[in-house]
Amino acid sequence: MSGVLSGRQRLERALAIVPWIDSQGGTAAVEDVCKRFDLDVEQLQSCLETVSMVGVYPYTPDALLEVFVESGHVHVNLPDYFTRPLRLTPTQTFGLIAAGRALLSLPGTDAEGPLARAIAKVAAATGAGSAVAIDLDTAPIEILQEIQSATSATRMIEIDYYSYARDAWSTRRVEPWRVQAIEGKWYLEGYCHSARDVRVFRLDRIRSLLVLDDRFTAPTLEAPLEIFDGVADLPSITLDLEPAATWVAKQYPMTSIEQLSGGRLRVTLAVSARPWLERLLLRLGDDAQIVRSDDSLAGTRAAGARRVLVRYLQ
Amino acid sequence: MAAADKFERQMNLLAALLDAPRPISAEQIQERVAGYSADKDAFRRTFERDKDELRELGVPVQVATIPATFPEQQGYLVDRSVYELPELELEADEIAALRLALQAVRVGDPSAHESESSAALWRLGGLAGGTAVAVDDEIAAIPADHRQTQLFHAVLERRVCRFEYPSSGGVTERVVEPWRVGYERGHWYLTGFDQDRSDQRQFRLDRMSEKIVLGEPDGFSDSAPLPEGSTYRPWDDGSADQVLAVVCVDADQAPWAAEMLGEHTVVGVDGNGGTIFNVPITSWPAFRSFLLSFLDHAELLEPPELRADLIEWLESTAAGDRS
Repeated sequence: MSGVLSGRQRLERALAIVPWIDSQGGTAAVEDVCKRFDLDVEQLQSCLETVSMVGVYPYTPDALLEVFVESGHVHVNLPDYFTRPLRLTPTQTFGLIAAGRALLSLPGTDAEGPLARAIAKVAAATGAGSAVAIDLDTAPIEILQEIQSATSATRMIEIDYYSYARDAWSTRRVEPWRVQAIEGKWYLEGYCHSARDVRVFRLDRIRSLLVLDDRFTAPTLEAPLEIFDGVADLPSITLDLEPAATWVAKQYPMTSIEQLSGGRLRVTLAVSARPWLERLLLRLGDDAQIVRSDDSLAGTRAAGARRVLVRYLQ
Repeated sequence: MAAADKFERQMNLLAALLDAPRPISAEQIQERVAGYSADKDAFRRTFERDKDELRELGVPVQVATIPATFPEQQGYLVDRSVYELPELELEADEIAALRLALQAVRVGDPSAHESESSAALWRLGGLAGGTAVAVDDEIAAIPADHRQTQLFHAVLERRVCRFEYPSSGGVTERVVEPWRVGYERGHWYLTGFDQDRSDQRQFRLDRMSEKIVLGEPDGFSDSAPLPEGSTYRPWDDGSADQVLAVVCVDADQAPWAAEMLGEHTVVGVDGNGGTIFNVPITSWPAFRSFLLSFLDHAELLEPPELRADLIEWLESTAAGDRS
C-alpha cells in the first residue's frame, strides 16, 4: 500500500502494531513491521510520530507512550494499556471462520493441518465453536479432480451433461477453462464445441467424463465467472408472487421487480427453456399468478401439469 | 493534517478510557484529553463522532454510573478484559493458513471482505513475515451481508430472534433460539429451537423478513448438541399430523433427490431402477412443491389420498391455466 493513510486506517494499524512490537520484547525491525502490516516506511513513520505523542493527562513525558525509531528498529515502551491488540469484531470473526471452514470442507484439505488448528483456536477464543458451519462441496470429488487436471494439461473433455433448464441429457465436447465454486455449487466454464459458444456447467450435473487427447489453447480470463448469461433476447413472463414465493426474486435474475400490496411482488423474468418454467410454475402452484407472458410461453403451466399427469394416469 | 489530528485525538481518548480505573465524565474528557475544543457544542459533536468511530472498529465504549456521585452521573469507560484480544497462541504457519483461506474463499462483498480480512490478520499479529505464501486464485465465493453477522452475533450472545417467515400456512412470525448459522447447497440457514413449535427447525436466510429483531443477551440456556448436516426440510415444517410419503424417483435424478431428502429416507430400488424414498411429512403443499420440481421424473406412490389429491390438483392446473 502507498499514499497517505486515512485517520481510520492509521488507528486500525496502530492498535495492532504497537502491541505486536511490545510482544516482541519491545523492539522490531522497521522492514519487518512494514511487511507485516502492509505499510511503506514513510507511512509507518508518520503513524509512529503521532503515536509518540499519545498518552494520558497531564501528557508529561512519563504519561506518554514511548515510541521511537533508531538504527532501523522501532522501539516501544508501553504503560499497561495498548499491550494487547483490539479483539476481533463479530464480522471479522465470522469472515475468518467462514472462509476457513469453507476451505476445510473441500476435498484434499488436511483436517489436522495448520488451518484446522488455527480455526479451532479462533473458534475457542471467541466462543464461536459451533456457531458457523460451512459446507461447499456438493460435486463428486473425482469429477472435480479430473477436470482440474484436464484444465492444467489443456486437454479437452467430453461430458455427459444434464440440462436442468431443458430437462435433457446430452454429450458435449468442452474446453475446460476454469472451475470455481460460486454460492456453494461448483461450476465449469469453457468453450462448448457442441454449442459453439462459451458455456457454464454445474459439476453435480455431469454424469460421466472423458479426458480427450485433443488440446486447447487456454484463454486469458479476466472477468469473473458468471452463472447466468445475458437475458436480453429470451422470452419473458410476468408473475405476481405471494409472500411465500418471493424467494424466486432472490434466486433468479429478474428483468423487473415491483412491490405490490401485502408483501406481494410482481416480477418479470427471462426464460431460457420451457421445461425450466414448467418446473417453476408447478413448484409455486397457487403462490404465483401469471400476469402476462410472451406467446411462445403461453400455456406452459398447463403443459407441465399434463406431462406429469401422464405418469400418474398411464 | 486534519486526519492526523483526528487519529491522535482518538488514540488519546482511547488511552484515557483504557487507563481510567472508573468511568470518566464527558467534562473530564473535554478537560483532560488532548485535542478537544474548549467550546461545549463543538466538543460534544466531535466526542460523539469519535465514540461512534471507535465503536465501529469494535472498541467496547460503555456508559456507566460514576461511583459516589450524587445526583448520579454517567461516565464512559472501556473494560480492558472486553477490549483485549485473548491470547490465541497462533503459530506462524497457522496465521499463514488463515491468510491463504481468506484469499481463496471470499465471504461477501469483495471490498468489504478485503478490508475486514486485513484488519483481522493485523490484530492476529500481521502477515507472518518470512513465510511467503503463494497467492492463489480465489477458488470459492460465498455470498453474505449484514444478516449473517447479525445472526452469528445472536448465536454468540444467545439472543432470541424474531422474524417473519413464509411456510405453507402463509407468512407468520417465528420466535427462534439461534444455535448455528450454516451454509450448504448454496444457501444460508439458521438452525435453532422454534419456541412456538417446541422443536428444532432450520430456516433459509433469504426467505426471512428483512427485519430480524434480537432479544436481550442470554435469552435462553445452552443449546442441545447439534446434529451434523442439514435438516432443512420445509415439508417437515407444517402443523398437520405426520404422514409417510412413498416416492419413486428415476435413476438418473435419484442422487439429487437423495441429497435433498437425506440418504436415510432411501429404502430401495424398484423394477425400473428408480429409487424408492420413505419421507415423513407434515406439510403436503411444501412436499408437493418439492416433488413437482422433478417434473415427470418422480412419482408419489403413497398414501393413496395424497396421490388422489395430487392427480386432482394436476388435472385442474392442466385445465385451468390457458394463459
